Amino acid sequence: MFFRMIRGAFVRQKGKMLMIALTIALGASLATAMLNVMLDVGDKINQELKTYGANITVVPKSSSVLNNLYEVEGGEEAQEAFLREDELGKIKTIFWAFNIVDFAPFIDTTADLDSGEEVRLVGTWFNHHLDLPTGEMLDTGVANLRTWWDISDGVWLDEQAESDPNAAMIGAMVARREGVGAGDTLHVKTRYGEADLKVVGVFDAGSDEDEEIYAPMDLVQALSDTDGYLTSIEVSALTTPDNELAIKAAKDPSALSVSQYETWYCTAYVSSICYQIQEVITDSVASPVRQVADSEGAILEKTEFLMVLITILSLVGSGLGICNLVTASVMERSNEIGLLKAIGAKDSAISGIVLTEIVLTGIVGAVIGYFVGFGFAQIIGHTVFGSSIEMKAMVIPIVAMLTVAVTLAGSIPAIRMLLRLRPAEVLHGR
Amino acid sequence: MTKQKMFLRMITASLVRRRSRMLVALLAIAVGATILSGLVTIYYDVPRQMGAEFRNYGANMILVPSGNDAAFNMDAVEETLGYIKPDQLVGVAPYRYETVRIHEQPIVAAGTDMEGAKATSPYWHINGAWPDAAGDILLGQKVADQLGLKPGDTLTVSYAAEEAEPAAEPKTDAQAGETNRLDAASQAEGQEESGADEAQTTGEDYVPDASLDMMVTGILETGGSEEEYVYLSMEDLNGLTGGSDKLDVVELSVSADQSELKQYGSDIENNVDDVTPRLVKRVTESESTVLTKLQALVFLVTAVVLVLTMICVATTMTAAVTERRKEIGLRKALGASNRSIIGEFMGEGLLLGGVGGLIGAGLGFAFAQAVSMKVFNSSITFQPLLLPVTIVVSVLVAGCACLLPVKSATEVDPAVVLKGE
Repeated sequence: MFFRMIRGAFVRQKGKMLMIALTIALGASLATAMLNVMLDVGDKINQELKTYGANITVVPKSSSVLNNLYEVEGGEEAQEAFLREDELGKIKTIFWAFNIVDFAPFIDTTADLDSGEEVRLVGTWFNHHLDLPTGEMLDTGVANLRTWWDISDGVWLDEQAESDPNAAMIGAMVARREGVGAGDTLHVKTRYGEADLKVVGVFDAGSDEDEEIYAPMDLVQALSDTDGYLTSIEVSALTTPDNELAIKAAKDPSALSVSQYETWYCTAYVSSICYQIQEVITDSVASPVRQVADSEGAILEKTEFLMVLITILSLVGSGLGICNLVTASVMERSNEIGLLKAIGAKDSAISGIVLTEIVLTGIVGAVIGYFVGFGFAQIIGHTVFGSSIEMKAMVIPIVAMLTVAVTLAGSIPAIRMLLRLRPAEVLHGR
Repeated sequence: MTKQKMFLRMITASLVRRRSRMLVALLAIAVGATILSGLVTIYYDVPRQMGAEFRNYGANMILVPSGNDAAFNMDAVEETLGYIKPDQLVGVAPYRYETVRIHEQPIVAAGTDMEGAKATSPYWHINGAWPDAAGDILLGQKVADQLGLKPGDTLTVSYAAEEAEPAAEPKTDAQAGETNRLDAASQAEGQEESGADEAQTTGEDYVPDASLDMMVTGILETGGSEEEYVYLSMEDLNGLTGGSDKLDVVELSVSADQSELKQYGSDIENNVDDVTPRLVKRVTESESTVLTKLQALVFLVTAVVLVLTMICVATTMTAAVTERRKEIGLRKALGASNRSIIGEFMGEGLLLGGVGGLIGAGLGFAFAQAVSMKVFNSSITFQPLLLPVTIVVSVLVAGCACLLPVKSATEVDPAVVLKGE
């Protein structure tokens, strides 16, 4: 009998039930979309912030400028510390390897131009193809770490397509002073050799990089007699904003207790990633670039917080909306409830019937809403970030609980109020 | 009784007698309007507020002397600042770089205004305290490691005019000092080697022209080339080097977008002779990239939330009107024209829309204000245009939501409606 009544209600009141289901679906889709976007916005913004370039630099342990000051004249090979190029791939084998977005090695030397000027010659990877020991492949280099470079003449050097080993990119200041542009050649001479560089592109970096020449790694290593060695590595990593633990750990990891150490090591703090890089690169010091790392943290936190508040507002809004409609739809059934009471139905039976109807409708609405909302989240993801929003499993129980709670909260007070009315009055229509 | 009076009486009576249901409808509209005004206010204010957060990345414009031999001082800086709106200026930090000796080792010392440096470089980590009195000095991490000094130690800074000669080309030195910090690596060697060569040749017969006893208040950690310098107040450095007040570089942190910054740049270039402004591309370009995405995100979120909320409000209103089909039938049976029925219902809907919109606009602003205070610690600007817009949208949504069910009810034969089919 109970089921027949409920089935009857659905069939006969199709329109009304559809309306309720639609509203609940709208509310649920809003909640789903906002929760999904909110939970993923941190990762997305983090990716975007990578445009500021590297947030970690790795230098040789015993290298410091002050040391170098005294070693420039002689004994360079014996005294100056270098990193080893063959260890570079290991950066992608650390615990947080997945969070390492890009990295580029650098080797610096000074070179003389024909005009007599001395310039800094930097050897690096532009878009180097790397086969990792894990079997993964990776294209990385300064092309990803210097997104703000404005190529005023020519193109970015494409390491994989460029056949000339002497191809190079030069800074705007050098280009202007030497009067060269893309396609020209530039003669450079160092203590260990000389080369005719083929200028592929001229960049405007808005910093003193404009005074430098960027050339492929092998060439500069040959010109500075440092085959297989590096002066520094820049690493761009996705990180979690620092907290108390990270600050404590950054000072001295050995001061942590075992469980704290594990938490720290297994969280993508900039300090723990630095620590892990130091573990794999011999005699290195990896330190966060405060300008990038700190600002990232601040902006990430603000954005996430903002999204949380907007999500709460829209959840409250959709909750109230659903609640409202459910109340309205229960109230208008006063006649039916009066009739049921008049023919002797118990209060519990009436509440049971009405609640079951509403909750069933709610579930149908919520399921539809979940998928529609997921669609909205993808639209936002693709339009804004050009990538899909990850489906978070925890959204499903949240939306389910929210829908049930809101429907019950909307219907119970209304039912109680109607049950208090006298059947005769209700049926008479007041 | 006039027609208008009757109309008003019917509307108010309906609102008063059906108090609880009208409250439900009013609440729905108010919630919708709150979301509308709250989110739109946030949408308009986010770029400004976020822009302020982006100033964490430090200076986005630097001033360098025009031409290789030129020099400029604070007067030129004051003149420059006249071209920038005061409320957009986050910080100004002048720098002057000189080679000095500490413990007989040549080190680049930067004279600056500590308050300005604090504002333009919020990312500096200081172990210890910022220098705040004459005779205080801040050491870069690498310098401190090299010299084995810690906060609270004292040291003697000495200066010799002829030793500083190689660093006397302000342009080179200025750029070394300024822009290297924008680079991740310690790339200052290039410029400093020349200074070091000179230091070595003069090293044996080094005679300081002046010296000053200073106390280390803090160690600076940035992960950049700032760690290779020591920082002291401009007055101390000028005192040490003998009176000149020239500057090598000035960092400006301006809360403005890229096009505005470019405008300031050309204004300054054309009007101030002594200085050349340069935009720090890494900061300005990246900021506009990220900020554009953020704004697009908030825009789309706002749009999705608004569309869904407005549909939600409309269905609630529709439900509230649909249940009054019987009333409509009764009025028709009593001889009311379709026009007057639609008019009355619309009047009710519009009144609800207006009141709900007004309440919502207020609540929405309160919400946006709370968000702004919590997230950005600053108050939000009120958008006066938003008040009428919110009310008009609420009225429109409420009106449209009423119109459809009322129209369908009036088109049906009253007998059928009254019978309950």
